[in-house]
Amino acid sequence: MLPLTLALLLLSTAAFVLGRRRAFAVVEGETRLLHSQPGSYGQWVALWCALPSLAVVVAWWLLEPALIEWQTFAGAPAEVVELPPERRELFARDALALSAGEVTSSEPGPALRAAAGRIQRVEGLGQLSVGGLAAAVALMGLGWARGRIRPQLRARNHVEAVARTALAASSLVAILATVGIVLSLVFEAARFFALVPLGDFLFGLEWSPQTAIRADQVGSSGAFGAAPVFAGTLLITALAMAVAVPVGLLAAIFLSDYATPLTRAWVKPLLEILAGIPTVVYGFFAALSVGPLVRQLGERLGWEVSSESALAAGLVMGVMIIPFVSSLSDDVINAVPRSLREGSLGLGATKSETIRRVVLPAALPGIVGAVLLAISRAIGETMIVVMAAGLAANLSANPFEAVTTVTVQIVTLLVGDQEFDSAKTLAAFALGLALFLVTLGLNVVALVVVRRYREQYD
Amino acid sequence: MTSGGVHSGEAARRRLRKRHAAERRFRLYGLAAIGLALGALVTLLGTVVVRGLPAFFGYEVTLDLHLDAARLDPQGGRRPGDLGRGDYGRVVKDALRALFPEVKGRRERRRLHALVSSGAAFDLRERVLAEPDLVGSTIALAVPLSDDADLFFKGGVDAEAAEADRRLSDAQITWLRALQSEGRVARRFWTRFFRAGDSREPELAGIWGALVGSLWTLGVTLLLSFPLGVAAAVYLEEFAPKGRLTDFIEVNINNLAAVPSIVFGLLGLAVFLNLSGLPRSAPLVGGLVLALMTLPTVIIASRSSIMAVPPGIREAAMGIGASPIQVVGHHVLPLALPGILTGTILGMARALGETAPLLMIGMVAFIVDVPTGPTAPATVLPVQVYLWADSPERAFVAKTSGAILVLLAFLVAMNLAAVLLRSRFERRW
Amino acid sequence: MTFPTPTGGIQVTLRSTPLALIAACTLGFAAPSLARDQLRIVGSSTVFPFATAVAEQFGKTTSFRTPVVESTGSGGGLKLFCAGVGTQHPDITNASRRIKGSEVESCRRNGVTDIVEVKVGFDGIVLANSKKSGRFSLTKEQIFRALAKQVPIDGKLVDNPYRSWDEIDASLPSTRIEVLGPPPTSGTRDAFVELAMEGGATAIAMLADLRKSDKKAFRAVAHGIREDGAYVEAGENDNLIVQKLEANPSALGIFGFSFLDQNADKIQGSVVGGIEPTFENIAAGQYGVSRSLYFYVKKAHVGVVPGIQHYVAEFTSDRAAGEEGYLADKGLIPLPEAERTAVREAARGLELLSLN
Repeated sequence: MLPLTLALLLLSTAAFVLGRRRAFAVVEGETRLLHSQPGSYGQWVALWCALPSLAVVVAWWLLEPALIEWQTFAGAPAEVVELPPERRELFARDALALSAGEVTSSEPGPALRAAAGRIQRVEGLGQLSVGGLAAAVALMGLGWARGRIRPQLRARNHVEAVARTALAASSLVAILATVGIVLSLVFEAARFFALVPLGDFLFGLEWSPQTAIRADQVGSSGAFGAAPVFAGTLLITALAMAVAVPVGLLAAIFLSDYATPLTRAWVKPLLEILAGIPTVVYGFFAALSVGPLVRQLGERLGWEVSSESALAAGLVMGVMIIPFVSSLSDDVINAVPRSLREGSLGLGATKSETIRRVVLPAALPGIVGAVLLAISRAIGETMIVVMAAGLAANLSANPFEAVTTVTVQIVTLLVGDQEFDSAKTLAAFALGLALFLVTLGLNVVALVVVRRYREQYD
Repeated sequence: MTSGGVHSGEAARRRLRKRHAAERRFRLYGLAAIGLALGALVTLLGTVVVRGLPAFFGYEVTLDLHLDAARLDPQGGRRPGDLGRGDYGRVVKDALRALFPEVKGRRERRRLHALVSSGAAFDLRERVLAEPDLVGSTIALAVPLSDDADLFFKGGVDAEAAEADRRLSDAQITWLRALQSEGRVARRFWTRFFRAGDSREPELAGIWGALVGSLWTLGVTLLLSFPLGVAAAVYLEEFAPKGRLTDFIEVNINNLAAVPSIVFGLLGLAVFLNLSGLPRSAPLVGGLVLALMTLPTVIIASRSSIMAVPPGIREAAMGIGASPIQVVGHHVLPLALPGILTGTILGMARALGETAPLLMIGMVAFIVDVPTGPTAPATVLPVQVYLWADSPERAFVAKTSGAILVLLAFLVAMNLAAVLLRSRFERRW
Repeated sequence: MTFPTPTGGIQVTLRSTPLALIAACTLGFAAPSLARDQLRIVGSSTVFPFATAVAEQFGKTTSFRTPVVESTGSGGGLKLFCAGVGTQHPDITNASRRIKGSEVESCRRNGVTDIVEVKVGFDGIVLANSKKSGRFSLTKEQIFRALAKQVPIDGKLVDNPYRSWDEIDASLPSTRIEVLGPPPTSGTRDAFVELAMEGGATAIAMLADLRKSDKKAFRAVAHGIREDGAYVEAGENDNLIVQKLEANPSALGIFGFSFLDQNADKIQGSVVGGIEPTFENIAAGQYGVSRSLYFYVKKAHVGVVPGIQHYVAEFTSDRAAGEEGYLADKGLIPLPEAERTAVREAARGLELLSLN
């Protein structure tokens, strides 16, 4: 691969130089006669040299696995061809491994050696012929493009069209990422829902993904009613919001309407530090400091507090989200036109009355949008709850009890001690899909709300 | 006007007082909110600093080590191969026994040996391999104490508690005190914490491996998300036709920015590990996942920065015959660069602190060797924090907080860089 | 298109899937399959602290590189281990339980036919509470009655009615029953259920009869853990459980012996069946709630990835796994002398696993 890349790079460089020189030559040095700068002609030839041969390489790359698979069994003895599918697959894998000089699962027999030999031939052939073909195509492209250089050739436009295509392609990566996420979640989730009906998953009241560490173990089917998990997520999110929304909103109001510029200049970045602290640090803090504190306080007041109360995780998560709410609200509060404020103040309202009766109602849609975004953030937060909230799937609205969340379950299901390939690991992907859809929905609603609000004053 | 008028009577004054009181209260709520938030910040940082500072210091004991040729180099050739196999642990143990000749019995001796870190033998081995001529002589070498002994000098062991209730026995405490009174114990700045890889012994564990892993991972992330992000932003701001596809891309980008990070971990597990067969625990895969995660941040920051370049600049360039690509390449991008870089740095800072997606792709691993490339097994700083928080040895609590401090230092540095960049180069048009 | 299982993957079929291509294409990376000079170990989080200690010692005292040890859980580790032969797959997996027949079968299907099993020692599972309150002395039956979902009362199985310990037995304290323990995904939980709960259930005459008549029904009763809040699933971070016990003196916690050993100044292990969970008692086999720990070696990799035999030798050596070895300092309970020698011989000779 590397020699090929280097060769292509060298060829393209040569193509650039040749093309540029040719451009000078066709106008005999009178570059003003050229449609584009001589360099553009060089680039144009270089592109003609590189792109077609790259296409050849990619085409071979697409084709090779199929060729190898075909060659593995072509001419193999009948007993190999007639193997059951799983043994066939193993044979194919071993042949591939052997051809690459890797370890195989068993002492290679003659059939395997023969197959490996055939694979090596395919690969050797591929390297030679594809290398040759790519080089030939590159040279042909070079020669052809060089021959086409005329003063009238719109080289720059052609090159720029390619550049634009490349730019457009980069913007498609965002779509690709989304598609990747959806596909990887949907396929596994679909397998899960083949085992557990969707209705049971969404509305079932018992979440108990029991392990079947041994086949004879009880409860190995498990209960996959995710309602308690969703409820736990909601509870912790609600607690976080109960902290973050009032504190964040009041802080934003104070900073935008009361604080001196100096205070604002200091306090705003300080608040934003809270958003920059890694969540694993919050988790450590929640588990070792806030959790025990909450429990002690509860004991003193005579309440029964579970050691892994939702409250501890919720409080800390709320602190993490404060800057999120405050800076978004700050933006929308600042966006309320001065004229509204001045009108209210002019009628004799105090500042707080102006804020409560005029500014906040005007900014309300934006604030709602901000809160929705904050909620989606809280729902997806992982490390704090993994480290500080429990795994007990209690269907409870009591903040002193232990609850579990979607993200915690995803982590435990995939990193725990369980058997793989069971409904349990698939359940993680189903939960992931649910998480993705909910945050997606919240986000879309929030954006719509914010956008609609903006149109009122712009 | 009489004194009983609507706006000047007693009732009016009372109303006014009430309104002013409400005004003050409202202001106070705002102050309280800010106080609460800042208080939380101070508590959080304070806790970490108080817990983490001991990680940067440690205690060493100076031992007189007799480098017996019979133990270290029985062949006598002073060849590195032979020297490497010497019984250095025994030399350290002999030195300890020489200090406390009265200690008899296997059990007691084991307790005595337990005072010194198992790293002492490794240190000695390194020293002898570097200077083979030392064999046969006696050298004084400062070696690390074990985590329990270290904790004792740091005040983490309650000598008053019943013997069974602490990790050190009465005899061990007596020996430690004796060593101290002989002036053999010294407090040092623990450079090992900054230059070593992970270890199962808290006194030997360091963050260098995780730090290098973080750098490789961030390198991959930067290499992918910066060019792709800027290219996408340029396309969307400058070239994209208004249409369904463009809208769809924009919606996608905004949504990606809000997708929980753990979902990116699931994507990495399914696509990069299982489908593409990339190695587990590799910075390459971590970097890919984090690149997808930070891509929307980079795109959004770049777009707003490109948008802020006034149209006049573009028009002027077009007016003298530049093509759209040239306008962007020669004028718009250079002017927008500070803003783009600021956004990128902030995105990188977020990627540096991210843990959850990396749990899914096998980065929760014990890795001693410092990673040497993007496919070498590695862990990253926040995952190291998570791993240490899970270790049974008590001294790891301090190490965890110490690692957090280092992580925070990096984040602060990156954020400062972003702020400076913004204030230095940002233009208001 | 076949979508892969969460860990591991099948190289041949997957290489041709378009999605892999798109992913690899856009990101510009091909799957590397380079030879490895470094051991890769996966598996149980219980064996993790011991395996890492051996790995570190191995890396520092030999010329081999320090192995990479990943904590994936026993099941996840075996899954990765069984995914195939070749340097992209791990060489060794740790397990806090024995490999299952179904797992051996899945290994075999993927070409992993030669597996070497090495038993490394025991892990005691302890019930412990804060030193601020008194030490518990429980029988297995009491543990069962405190934690089972259904308990027999007056000859009938009813939902567990016990709220506080003294309702079970007057000798126990009158505090609320609150036990922090591992979740169902954990091997510790599985072992605890099998050893303590099942043992306790057998001690009750009615359930012992049930066991004889209907094994399945017996298991359902013996393995069911109550879900009404008295048993709190506390995550797999045993360290945090210890911290929480300290903060909550009336609660009991369930975890491995090594955590009790490390935190002996803060928490105390409850006496079970008259035996205190001490190093000596577990090693002597007197303490009733302990399980064996294992690791499994892929024989096909021996001689391909350097150092496997040396690592096995280090793990089974006396200075590591012996009674005075460094693993004992980390909380591993060593095997009895004779068994240890036998295991060492078998491991050094790379004797193959047979599940019978």
